[in-house]
Amino acid sequence: MKAVIKVDNLRKSYKDIKAVNDISFRVYEGEIFGMLGPNGAGKTTTMEIVEGIRKADSGRVTVLGIDVKKHPRKVKANIGVQLQTTSLYPRLSVREVMALFASFYPRSASIDKLIKLVDLEDSKKKRCKNLSGGQQQRLSIALALVNNPKVLFLDEPTSGLDPQSRHNIWSMIEYVRSKGKSVFITTHYMEEAQRLCDRVAIIDYGKIIATDKPDKLVSQHFQDEAIEFELNQQLDDDVLSKVAGVTNVVQENGKVTVYSSAVPVTVSALLDLAKQRGFELTNLYVRRATLEDVFLKLTGRRIRE
Amino acid sequence: MKAFNILLMANAKQFVREKAALFWTFLFPIFFILIFGAVFSGGMDNVSFDVGLVIEDDSAIAQNMSDAFGQVTVFKMTSGQRDGELQALQDGERRAVLVIEQGFGETIARGGTANISVYYDPTQTSSVQILLPIVQKVVDNIDRALSGTTPRVQLTEQTLQSHNLRAIDYLVPGILAMALMQLGLFAVAPIVVDRENKVLKRLGATPLRRSTMVISTVVFNLIVAMIQAALIIIVARLVFDVPMLGNWFYLICFIILGTLTFLAMGYMLSAFAKNQQTLMPLIMFVQFPMMFLSGIFFPLEMMPGFMRPIMDAMPLTYLGDSIRQIMVESSAMHSHLINIGVLGGWFVVCLILAVRFFKWE
Repeated sequence: MKAVIKVDNLRKSYKDIKAVNDISFRVYEGEIFGMLGPNGAGKTTTMEIVEGIRKADSGRVTVLGIDVKKHPRKVKANIGVQLQTTSLYPRLSVREVMALFASFYPRSASIDKLIKLVDLEDSKKKRCKNLSGGQQQRLSIALALVNNPKVLFLDEPTSGLDPQSRHNIWSMIEYVRSKGKSVFITTHYMEEAQRLCDRVAIIDYGKIIATDKPDKLVSQHFQDEAIEFELNQQLDDDVLSKVAGVTNVVQENGKVTVYSSAVPVTVSALLDLAKQRGFELTNLYVRRATLEDVFLKLTGRRIRE
Repeated sequence: MKAFNILLMANAKQFVREKAALFWTFLFPIFFILIFGAVFSGGMDNVSFDVGLVIEDDSAIAQNMSDAFGQVTVFKMTSGQRDGELQALQDGERRAVLVIEQGFGETIARGGTANISVYYDPTQTSSVQILLPIVQKVVDNIDRALSGTTPRVQLTEQTLQSHNLRAIDYLVPGILAMALMQLGLFAVAPIVVDRENKVLKRLGATPLRRSTMVISTVVFNLIVAMIQAALIIIVARLVFDVPMLGNWFYLICFIILGTLTFLAMGYMLSAFAKNQQTLMPLIMFVQFPMMFLSGIFFPLEMMPGFMRPIMDAMPLTYLGDSIRQIMVESSAMHSHLINIGVLGGWFVVCLILAVRFFKWE
């Protein structure tokens, strides 16, 4: 497969903080590549260096074979960018802003087709300040596509949106991929990474701690399933980890997650234990392990704390 | 070039769609002219001082004195008793009270020196500066007539100005200069808002050159400056008959130079302001002293001397001076060359600071 983005040994510090600490990765043609991590992990800094709007301290970045440091304008002409938060020109209409951005590029896509794609046909004459959050987000995706780019950069594209809007944007991104474009996306939403991305890099404190397909990341770290429940009294991890089939225990504010390689055995053993010791198990459910569990296992923290 | 044109149009659309910007740019200077014009046209031409006259002497000479004061056009004479008139002075109803005391005629008849007392409030500077010399002159004239001497040296007043400068003629070019200053300083406010909203950052992710952005902003503001100037000149002409006597080409050159200077100053200020909340006080801090210490509303001679260095440093002083010279042929404070030099100096200094410190993110 052909890599459209190559990043090698990227570093960037702000004063004493190493925002990006020796990061290397590839994004391949036609894939949705996700960078998953908590706020402040270095996702946005990494993305902005690749886009050519921020300078790295060291490391090498090429996009579509072009060195970003040497030819930033050439890179910018061939990529589409959506920043985390932009409220664009409040007094211009959707169509006017699109035409303005189209004028910055040597070639541009059809504005009307793009407006249709992001479902803003009814609002194309609306001023930007009157758009809803979801509409603004869709407009900024349309703007990122205005030059018909080969690579699309989306920084937390569904942050703060309602589930309906989020699903709309996911299907737009999938449509973009179906046109053979590559998408580089950052997110701190597990479901987004799991459902949307072909490959995910998990990033924490400026370092990539794992990169793979979402399913592989999970199965690599967990053959087990997760059993979650709440307890009405405190139990030591030791007690729980001795329960039949349990491989790992995590307790947080009365919420317990035990990972088990044999769920039926573990569940009945847990219920026996409860009867024996006279405590109550509530809200018990069993689920497959997710990227959240992977992150928790690798870092000892949840993504959203 | 395509990006430049569309950016210019986008600027124009945004500007026209913001009512506050339209008001401050076009209507505010016009209001200023209308209001100040109305105030001055009623005031300066028929200035008069209320002067009380108390005659306690019934001689013919005292009567002559009274007539002589009565002929001074800027005095509105009131006759009365000493107590009443002095009380009126204290109440602020008189600017001065002249008292011709009993025995005035008799003293003169004896060949002595008679006395006229002038009571005035020294805190009223106009009384001191204007009223007393007039009284002195009237007294001198009568004194000469009485003693029968002819003056050896006489002052003949001749004005050198070809055009009789009214207050409104003085004011309008100043308002024009002030409007250009405000245009330039406030033109950067939307850029700071764009920076806050990450619009500048987003533009930075496109191949658009920053120079194209800056030049389109500058060209747009020059166009607005021309419209603004035309509007001010037309309204002043139609309403107050303020002429445009000089060379249009020079006027346009100064409008451009002034706008560029204040745009550069605006960019410089925005370089030192984190956001719009800090930019606004910064602009106010710069523009208010200039409004009042640059001879826009009144000639600088009326200001106390210790302020002189401040006034001499302000670019608006020089822009106002040149536009005034061109429009109404007022007497020059400085030559055009000096004015161009000072404005150009400010332009270069502000530009260097702006380029050095302006942040795009």
